[in-house]
This record gives sequence, structure tokens and C-alpha cells, in this order.
Amino acid sequence: MERDCIDDCVILCRSCDLVVRKRALPSGARALCPRCDTVLYDTPYCSINGMLALCITALIFLAPANFLPILELHFFGSVRTTTIAEGAMAVSQQGYWIVGLSVMLTAVIAPALLILSILSQILIIKYQLHNAFFRNVLKRLLAYQSIISQLSMLEIYLISILVSVFNLSDFADIFLGMGTFCFSMLFIVTLFLQREYNLEHMWNMLDE
Amino acid sequence: MNNLNEKAQGKAMGLTACPSCNKLNEIKYLRCSRCDTLLLVRDTSSLQKSWALLITAAILLIPANIYPITMLTDRGRIRYDTIYTGITHLVQSDMFPIAIILFTASILVPLLKIVGLTIYLSAISFRLPISKKMLMVGFHIIEWIGRWSMLDLFVISITVALVNMGQLLDAKAAPAATAFALVILLTQMAAKVLDTRLLWDRLESKDDTN
Ligand SMILES: [Zn+2]
Ligand SMILES: [Zn+2]
Repeated sequence: MERDCIDDCVILCRSCDLVVRKRALPSGARALCPRCDTVLYDTPYCSINGMLALCITALIFLAPANFLPILELHFFGSVRTTTIAEGAMAVSQQGYWIVGLSVMLTAVIAPALLILSILSQILIIKYQLHNAFFRNVLKRLLAYQSIISQLSMLEIYLISILVSVFNLSDFADIFLGMGTFCFSMLFIVTLFLQREYNLEHMWNMLDE
Repeated sequence: MNNLNEKAQGKAMGLTACPSCNKLNEIKYLRCSRCDTLLLVRDTSSLQKSWALLITAAILLIPANIYPITMLTDRGRIRYDTIYTGITHLVQSDMFPIAIILFTASILVPLLKIVGLTIYLSAISFRLPISKKMLMVGFHIIEWIGRWSMLDLFVISITVALVNMGQLLDAKAAPAATAFALVILLTQMAAKVLDTRLLWDRLESKDDTN
């Protein structure tokens, strides 16, 4: 039957349901929906070992980025420091827990979950792909992948550190520390990890 | 032309993409063959959900902008700032780049998001003759820039944690912060829940060239 080939040579646009014939792409290129310009698929260049290395690097920076102060403020002899979580706590304690919660979720929890989730996916694909239990875990992780990566807002937090530095240096002395460096590194490594990662390709691992 | 487009729609060919993993499935199946997610050819109720979230967000945008978002105590004097007056203070102290960043993230983006989504949802609900391609490009832009509104809340949380020297100098969050956080959450959800394929079904009979 014709249906046999349909899986490999045809794709449906997520945004408009157009049936599009799949073609081989030159590396680095992306296929766009001819009708609505949504990205349909790109060349799967995600190397499992490369991502594993990036994941481990990200994990190394994760703890210091979260536990060392990201900014230090000196004002007439008094010194104040803050971490991301302390900032979230500070607004929560003033009664704005929705704000505190969203800061905590998007700048601490989601980035950590993102890295841990990708790491688990890679380890399962490398070592336990034929174990039924781990296959199920992998399916669950992949299903949550896009929401977690949308919630992770490291790049926005990095810009907000810069904005705060400019804002506060108007009336106090601001110092960047080891924590700021680790956070920047965490951001860069996660950025590369997300560029390398391809959800479509990860799902296809389950078919093989 | 109309005929060809009808054929090109996955639904008409008896195929549908899995909402979770995007695998092609035949419509007759209940669950995706790869990940067991319930297949949904079209999520028609998503239009109403999206409208409800959007309207709530639009209402909350008012308190978010008229109430103060920060409270600053500077040598005993208390100053309340709304999103807008905070930005004008930055302009007055010659910090234009920061003012532009915050203006974009806190005023322009939420406004564009709400106006854009209203146009998009109206185009589906009332079958407005607007270019579908333009609507879709606008939708992708909204999805992408929407999260940048979080910038102001991050800055507030950093400032509040650092500036707490009692009567001398002290920064606190103020009620608009919660309203603003909810505006971001609700508009992001309004875009997220919407099944955009509805746009292409509903306007199919209009002008196909768009
Ligand atoms: Zn499309
Ligand atoms: Zn599926």
C-alpha cells in the first residue's frame, strides 16, 4: 500500500496542517512550510557524544551559578550580595509570591530540569534504549521537552543582570563575582546545547 | 486552486500529526503509534480558551500599568514608580539604552502581544479577510518575543534583594508586579493553547493565494 512510504516522504505542518513532501537538505539548512513559513525540520546534526559533553559542562557550572552571588553591591560601607534564588525569595517575602515563583521557575528550576532531562535522554539512548521501562521514561521526557525549554529563560536573566548593573551603579558600587562568571558560562553552554539538540531527531531514535 | 489546497490539508487525506511528537498518524487511530498521546485532529475548543486567557490578560494589563511596580525609599523619602514613570526616570538620568530595553520589554511587547493575538483570534472567529501568511508570521514573532517581558521582573527581584539598607536606601516590589506577572503568564498561555491549524481551515474558502 501507498501508506507504507507516507511516513518517510511526507510531513504535516504543525501550524497549518499542510502536507509537505520531505526532501534531503544541505547541512545547516532548514525546511520552511511553503504556505506559512513555520520551520518544518532541519538537518539532524545533533551528535549524542557532543551533547553529553555539553551537558556535563553545564552541570559543572549549574551549582556555582546558583549558589554563588551573581551581584555584589557596596553602599557607604555596607555590602549586599544576592543569588538568583535569594532575589526570588526577597520578592516573595514582600508578598509578591507569584513574581517570586515565576522568577524561581524560569531562572532556576527550568534550566536545571532542562539540563538534567537532556542528560537522562542521552544516557538512555546510549545505554538503555532497548529496555521497556527506560523507553517509557524517554517518551515522557521528550513529551515535556518543549515546555521546559520554553520556560528556561537564562538569556533574559543574563540581560537583566546587565540592566541591574547599569541601574544600580548610578548610586552604589557594583561588583561582578565568580557567580556572575559561572552564570554566564552556564548560559553559553546551555545555548550551544540547545542549538545542538533536535527534538525531532530524538523522537526518531525511538523508531530505530 | 481551491481543490488542490483542500487535498493538501492533512485532515482531508486522513492524516494527522501527533500533538506531542509530530509523528504522522492515520486519523482513524485514537492514540499516537509512537508516544501514545491522544490524537487531536483539530482542537476546536482551543479558540475559546485562548480568547478567555487573552481577555483576562488585557484586563490585568490596566492595573499592571496604573499601579506602582516598585517602591523606593531614598534617605527617608518614599517614591512609587509605575512601569512608565520608572522608564521616564531612566530617560531623565540619561540612561537611554536601558530605558529603550525596558520600554520594549515591559510596554511594547505586552501591548503588541495582546493587540496581535486579538487580531489573530478575530481573524479565526470572525473570518476576517487578512493575509494568512502575515498572520502566521506575526504569531511566530509573538511567540518568540513574548517571554522577554520577564526582564523587568528579573530586574526587580535583583534590585529588591540588593537594595535593603533601611531608611537610607530601600527598594521593594509593589502591587503592579503581580498583575504584570499574570499578564505575561496569561498571554503566553493564550498563544500556547491555540491550535493554529484552525486559521487555515476556517479561511480556506476565502482567498487561497494569501
Ligand atoms: Zn504551514
Ligand atoms: Zn506522538
